[in-house]
Amino acid sequence: MPKHEPVLLKNMLQPGYTGSLADYERAGGYQALKKVVGKVAPADVTAMVIKSGLRGRGGAGFPTGVKWNFLPKDYKGTKYLCCNADESEPGTFKDRQLMERDPHQVLEGIAIACYAIGAETAYIYIRGEFVLGSKILDQAVTEARAAGYLGKNVLGTGVNVDIWVHRGAGAYICGEETALLESLEGKRGLPRVKPPFPATSGLYGKPTVINNVETLANLPHIVNRGPEWFASIGSPPKSAGTRIFCVSGHVKRPGNYEVPMGITCRELIFEQAGGMRGDKPLKAFIPGGASAPFLTPDHLDVKLDFESVAQAGSMLGSGGVTVMEEGTDMVWAALRLMEFFHHESCGKCSPCREGSSWLVQTLRRILAKRGRMEDLETLVQLCNNIAGRTVCAFGDAEVAPILSTLKYWRPEYEALIREAEAHRAHELPMAAARH
Amino acid sequence: MPNVAVETVKLTIDGQSLTVPKGTLVIEAARQVGVMVPHFCYHPKLKPDANCRMCLVEIEKIPKLQTACSTPVAEGMVVRTATTVVNEAHKSVLEFILANHPLDCPVCDQGGRCDLQDFSHEYTPTTSRFIEVKRVFQKEYFSPLIEKQMNRCVQCLRCVRYCDEVMDVKALAPVNRGTMTEIKHFGTHELDCEFCGGCIQICPVGAITSRLSMYEFRPWMLKRADTVCTYCGDGCQITLQTKDNQLIEVNSSLGAGRNNGDLCARGYFGYHATTHPDRLTTPLVRRDGRLVPATWDEALEYVAETFAQLKLKHGAQVFAGVITARCTNEDLYLFQKFMRLAVGTNKLDSSARYGQVNAVRALCRIQGTHRWPVTFEDIAAAEALLLVGTNITEANPITGLRVKEAVKKHGATLLTVESLQPTVGTISNIANLAAHHFTAHPDQYKPVVLGLIKAVIEEGLADQPLSQKAPAYLQAIRDAVHALSWPTIEAATGSSAASFKEAARAFARTARAVIIVGAGVLREPGASGLAATLQDLLLLTGHHGRPGCGLAPLAEQNNDQGAVEMGTVTECLPGPCDLDDQEARARVSALWQEDLPQGPGLTIPEILEEARGKTLKALYLVGEDPVGSLPESARAKEALEGVEFLVCQELFLTETAQMAHVVLPACSYAEKDGTFTNTEGHVQQVRHAIEPVGESRPDWEIFSDLAGLMGYPLEYGDAKDLLKEIRALVPGYNLPGPTPKPSRPDHTAVDRYLQQGYAEDLGERYRYTPPVKAAGRLTLLVDQSLFHSGKFSTKAKGLLHLQAEGAVSLNPADAARLGIVEGDRVLLSNELGHCRTTAKVWDRIPAGLCRFPEHFDQEARRLLSVSIDVATGVPYYRSAQVKVEKAQ
Amino acid sequence: MTKFTAWIKTIIFYEILVGMKATLSHLLHYKPITLQYPHEKRTLPDSYRGMLALLRYDDGTEKCVGCDLCEAACPSRVIKVFSAEVPGEPTKRYAKEYYMDMTRCLFCGLCVDACPVDALGMTREFEWAVYDKRQLRLNKEQLLAIGDRSYPVREKRLEFQHPNVAFFNVAFKGLPEKES
Repeated sequence: MPKHEPVLLKNMLQPGYTGSLADYERAGGYQALKKVVGKVAPADVTAMVIKSGLRGRGGAGFPTGVKWNFLPKDYKGTKYLCCNADESEPGTFKDRQLMERDPHQVLEGIAIACYAIGAETAYIYIRGEFVLGSKILDQAVTEARAAGYLGKNVLGTGVNVDIWVHRGAGAYICGEETALLESLEGKRGLPRVKPPFPATSGLYGKPTVINNVETLANLPHIVNRGPEWFASIGSPPKSAGTRIFCVSGHVKRPGNYEVPMGITCRELIFEQAGGMRGDKPLKAFIPGGASAPFLTPDHLDVKLDFESVAQAGSMLGSGGVTVMEEGTDMVWAALRLMEFFHHESCGKCSPCREGSSWLVQTLRRILAKRGRMEDLETLVQLCNNIAGRTVCAFGDAEVAPILSTLKYWRPEYEALIREAEAHRAHELPMAAARH
Repeated sequence: MPNVAVETVKLTIDGQSLTVPKGTLVIEAARQVGVMVPHFCYHPKLKPDANCRMCLVEIEKIPKLQTACSTPVAEGMVVRTATTVVNEAHKSVLEFILANHPLDCPVCDQGGRCDLQDFSHEYTPTTSRFIEVKRVFQKEYFSPLIEKQMNRCVQCLRCVRYCDEVMDVKALAPVNRGTMTEIKHFGTHELDCEFCGGCIQICPVGAITSRLSMYEFRPWMLKRADTVCTYCGDGCQITLQTKDNQLIEVNSSLGAGRNNGDLCARGYFGYHATTHPDRLTTPLVRRDGRLVPATWDEALEYVAETFAQLKLKHGAQVFAGVITARCTNEDLYLFQKFMRLAVGTNKLDSSARYGQVNAVRALCRIQGTHRWPVTFEDIAAAEALLLVGTNITEANPITGLRVKEAVKKHGATLLTVESLQPTVGTISNIANLAAHHFTAHPDQYKPVVLGLIKAVIEEGLADQPLSQKAPAYLQAIRDAVHALSWPTIEAATGSSAASFKEAARAFARTARAVIIVGAGVLREPGASGLAATLQDLLLLTGHHGRPGCGLAPLAEQNNDQGAVEMGTVTECLPGPCDLDDQEARARVSALWQEDLPQGPGLTIPEILEEARGKTLKALYLVGEDPVGSLPESARAKEALEGVEFLVCQELFLTETAQMAHVVLPACSYAEKDGTFTNTEGHVQQVRHAIEPVGESRPDWEIFSDLAGLMGYPLEYGDAKDLLKEIRALVPGYNLPGPTPKPSRPDHTAVDRYLQQGYAEDLGERYRYTPPVKAAGRLTLLVDQSLFHSGKFSTKAKGLLHLQAEGAVSLNPADAARLGIVEGDRVLLSNELGHCRTTAKVWDRIPAGLCRFPEHFDQEARRLLSVSIDVATGVPYYRSAQVKVEKAQ
Repeated sequence: MTKFTAWIKTIIFYEILVGMKATLSHLLHYKPITLQYPHEKRTLPDSYRGMLALLRYDDGTEKCVGCDLCEAACPSRVIKVFSAEVPGEPTKRYAKEYYMDMTRCLFCGLCVDACPVDALGMTREFEWAVYDKRQLRLNKEQLLAIGDRSYPVREKRLEFQHPNVAFFNVAFKGLPEKES
C-alpha cells in the first residue's frame, strides 16, 4: 500500500483493470454522474467545485469553478466544453495515462462539467500523436453512449451531453487554449488575441470552457466524496487535492506518482521515485514541465503546491518533474529545451518567432565554444524582451530555461566562453559560424 | 448610412484628452490626436490580429504593455505612447523583426516607403546585435505580375487577411511555423487569383511587390496624379505614379475615392494600355487610298472644309456622330454641343446606348430621377441585397467588394440571380456568399424575378400602405402573377416554389434592401422592362423610396452615366432632359445663345442603318469602333463603306479607323483633365499624369478647334471652363464632395407610375413565354471577364499576362457529354457562322451555357445576331444559340 | 617720449613696414613656390577627392546594384541612374545606364558615402579638361574604365565577405525574366 492514497490512479492500479465500461462501473464509476444529473442544480455543482478548491491541472492553476462562473449567466445559446488533452509539455505524461488506462473517469468528469455549465457538446482535443489514446477514448465514448451515460437524454433526464474526440495535427501551441479552439475550428493553430476570452467568445464565437484532462477527472471524486473531503487533502486552502507528478530524468523509478499537493520535492524524488540513479547527487530539477524554471538542490524542501513553488521562483505548471544529476551540462539542457520551443513557436508574433531562433542560435554557438562574454548579457535582454510581449504565455515559457540556468549556473556558461576565447585564435565569430 | 446614436467614451492619450465612439481601438483614437503608434499588422480595413507586437503602449492600471491595435478604448483610460518603457518595447520588437530581415533595402522596391525602414530609423541603433546566420527561404516563382521575396517578410499576415476578409479570395496562406512561416498560395502551380494587387499595396515591407514596375523607380522619384480608372463604371480613384513622363505604377490610397484604396486587376495592372507603342501619334489623312501622316492644321482644315462642303451640299441632316462613353464629361458635353451647333444635327449617340440607356430609362420612369437612389455606403449597410445578372466580381469588382462587405462584415442577406454557379475557385464568386442563389441563363432572369414577385404577393409580403395608395396597381400585379403558375416558373427557372418563397421572405422583411442589376439584365432583350419589374418588387415590398434602398444598375463603362447626363445620347439634352422637352430646349438654347437643331436624333443602330442606305454622308466617330466591336450581323463595315466622309478620333488605329478618311489622335485619360461620373452618379476629377503621347490632343480641344474652323467658335480655356458651363445645365456637377448624395425619388413620378404609368406595359412585362431553343445547342454568352475591359485593356501588357486570348468556358457535364477536355480546340457554329477556339472547363458555368470573353471576340462575334430594343433602341448582341463540337 | 616715438613711426611708415614684413623678407631670400604645372605636379593628400569612378568586384562584375541612392544623395544632380533587371539573371538589379554630368560635380563625395555596396570611388585623377563640355557627361563604361585604372586591387564579392548578405542581390534560377 503506497504511503499516499491514490485518487485518480486508484482504479488503474487494481490488478486486471482494463478501463472498460464494465470495469469502471464495477469500481463505482458513473455514480457521480447519476448523483448530479437532473438531481442537483447546475449552479450547485459549480458551487461544489468552487468549495472543493479544485484548480486547473493544465499549468496555470486557475480555480476551475470560478472559470465556469465566467460564462455569461443569462446566455441561452450554445455553449461548449473543450477538454484539453493536447498534452505536449516535455516531461509530462499524466493525461495520457488517465485517458488510456481509465478513459471513463475522464468522460464522467466531462459529462459532469457539461451539466454544470450547460453545454451540450464537448470536444476532447487530443494530441495528434496519441493515436492509441484517441482510439481508446473513441471506444469509451461509444460504450458510454450506448449505456446512456452520454448522448441525447443522459440517463433519461433530458440532459444532452455529446462528446467528440478530435485529434490534433501535432503542434505544442495547440495546448494553448485559444490556439486549441482555432485548431478545432479547422484553422491554423495560432493563439487568439485576448480579450475576448473564451468564456465569452470561444469555439465558433460561443462561450466555451476549456479544462485539462486531470482537472475533469477529479470531478467524479469531488461529487462522490464531497468537496470537503477534497479540500481536506493536499495543502489547503490554496492547493487542495492530489496531483499526479510525472517524474522523469535521472531517478531510479521514473513514472507518474499521485500524491497530495504539499509534499516536498525531496519526498517526491527520493521516496516516491526511489532517489537518484546510481545515487549521484542531484544537480537540478524542473518542478512543472519544460516551461517552468529550473530549481536547485537548495529547493528540495520546497512544498509542491502552487504557492510554494511560485515563491521558490518556478511554477507547478503541468506537474512534469524532470530531475538532473550532477554532471549534467546545464547549457546543453537549456539549449535542448530551447530547441523544443524554437521548433514549436507558432510564428504568430514577432518577439517569440524571431527571439526563439535567435536564442537557439546563440546557445548553440556558446555550446560549440564560439561564444563571447557579451552574449550572456544579450541572452538575458532578449529573454526579458520576449517575456510578456507576446500574444500567449508561450513567450514567458520559452525564456524560463535560459533565465533560470543563467541565474544558477552562470559559471558553466562563462567557462564555455572562456574556453572559446582561449581557443579562438584570430578568427572572427562570424567566419566561424559559417562552417 | 444609418444614423444611430453612438455611445462615446473619454480617454487621454499622451496627455491629450479626446472623446471617441465606443469600440474605437486605441491606435485609431491615437491617430485622431496626431499620435502615431508604430505598427505593421494593423490595418483599418482588417480585423486586429496583434501579431507584430509593434504597437505596444502603456495603459494606466494595466501592468503589462498592451497592443494598441487590439485594445478598445475604455472610459477614463490613460494611454501613454512615448514613455521609456514603451520606447524600449518598440526597440526590442524591431530588433527581433530585423534579426532575420535581409539588408537589401537598396535593391528593394519598397525602399523609401517601407514601414520597417521608417521605424528602424526612428527606433533602433544602426548596428544589430544579431550576429547569427539569417534564415533564408527557398525562392519561389509567384506569378508574372507579383514578385515575392519571403526573406523580407515580417509575417504580419496583412496580405493573407486582406485576401480573405476584403477580397474573399483566400488565395494566400501562411505555411510552416516559427521563423520559417512563409506566405504561399495554394497548389504547385503559380499564383492564380483575382490579381487585385491588394497584397502588394497592403504589404508594409517589400515582401510582395509588383513585377511590372520592378526596379524601374525609387519612390521619391515618382510624381503622383490622382485620377479615375476607366476600366468600369465603379469610378475608382487611382494614383498614377510617373517618372520622366513614364507610367510606373498605380496605387490607390486608403480613404481616397469611392474605392477606399481597393482595386481590381484592371485598375492595378492595366495602366500600360495608355502608353502602348501602337498609340497614334500624328493625325492621318487618306491620300490616294492610303492613310498618311499629316499635321494637325492640315487634318483639321481638311475635316472642317469637307464638313462645310457636305453641309452646303446636303444639309446638316446627313451628318452623324458617335462618341465613346470612356471620354470625360467635358469631351462628351462639347461633342454634343459641336454636333448640335457647329454641325447642326441631333444625330449623335454614345456608347451608353449599349445598355446604360435602359437603366436610366427605367430609373426615370418609376423614380423620376436618372441616378442611383443609393450609394456604395448604402450597399455596404444594406440588410438585404438582390443581385440580378451582374456577375459583379468580374464586371464591377469594387461595387462587388461593397456587397462582400455587407455580407461578410455586416451579415446582410444576399440573393443572387446569376449565370454562375456557386463554386469555390481562384476568383471570388459572389454566389458563394448568397443565402439564396438562383442559377439563371440570360433568358431566365425574367422568370426568376417574376417568381420572386409572385412569392411576395402570395406570401402576403406586399406593403400595406401600397394597397391603400394604389389598389389598382397592386391588383393588376396580383392578377398578372396569378396568371403565372408555379409549375411554369419552376420549369422555366429550375428552382422550386419553396426557394422563391424563402428568398422573398428574406428580402421583404428587411429595413434596407438594394437591388443591383448588371449587364446580364441591361444588355439582354427586354432589359428596360425587367428593370421596371424589379422596381415593382421594391414598390411591393415597400422599399421603394426608403433611404438606403433602391435599384442600382451597374454601368459598364466609366462614364456611361455622364454620357447620359451630358445629353450625349440621342434622345437627351444635357440635364438630361428629353429632346422634345420645350422648356429644356429653351433653357439650353438660352445658355448657348443659339437655336437648337430640329429634327429627330438617331441611335447607333439607326445611324448604321442610314449609312447603309447611303443617306448619311459624313460620320464622326470618337473612340468608337463599330466594325471592331459589333457582330458581323450588324453589318457595320458595309455601312461605313457607304459613308462619304468618315472621321475617326482614336487612340489606336482600330478596324474602323483603318477605313476612315481622317484619323485624329486623341489623348487617353492619363493625359487629360476633366471629370467622370461613376455608376452611382458621383462626379470625380480626372487629372493628367503624363504629357500627351506624340501629338495627340484632348478630345474637347479637337472639337473646339474644329468648331472654330467651321465658323462656330466654341472656345474654352481649359476643361474647367467647360465644367462651369456644364454646371449651369446639369445638376450635381458642383464641386465634387467625398461622397455622393443619392438622388431622392420624385414622388410625382412614382405616383404617376402607380396610378397609370404601370398599365402601358404591365401585361407584357408579366407575361412569360418560354423561349424556343433548338435541341443540342448551348447558349453562348459573350461576356466581360475580370481581367479586361472592352478592347482597350487588351493593349495592357500586365493584363495580357493574365489573359491573352479568348477561350470558351463550358460546364463540366456539357464538356464531358461533348467529349471535350480542357485545352481542346472546339468549333462553335450556328447559322451565322462558325469560330474555332480553345475550350476551358469551368464548374461555375451552369449546364447549357458557355461563356466567351468579349475582349477577344473577333471571331466569336460572327455567331451573334443583333436584336434592337423597340423602346430604347439598344442593340442586344450578347448571346446566341450555338452548336459546340470538338474541332477536327 | 611716446609722442616722439609716434612721430618717428609716422615718418618711417612703420605700419606699412610691419604689413610688408613677410613680403620683404621673401624679397631677400627668394624661393619660387609656384609649381610649374604640368611639368611639375603636386603631391596629393591621401584623402584627395578627384574624379569619380565605378568599381568592380574581383571577378570583374560591376558592383553597382542600381539602387539610385547616389542620385538621391547628390546635391547638384550630377548622377542619373536607370536601373533594371540584369538580363539573364532574373530579380537581380543593376544600373542599365549610369550617367554623371561632371560639369556640375562639386566633388563632395556624398555619393560615395551613400553607396551601400561601395560601388563608387573617388580617384586621384583631376586632369579632365576638355574642349567640349559635353564630353564631361560620362556614361557607365567610361566611369568603369576610370575605376579599372584607379583601383587595381578589387574586393571580393559581397556574398563571400559576409554570410548574412548572401542573398543581397542574387539572381534566381527558374524564374522568367522581366520583359522590358
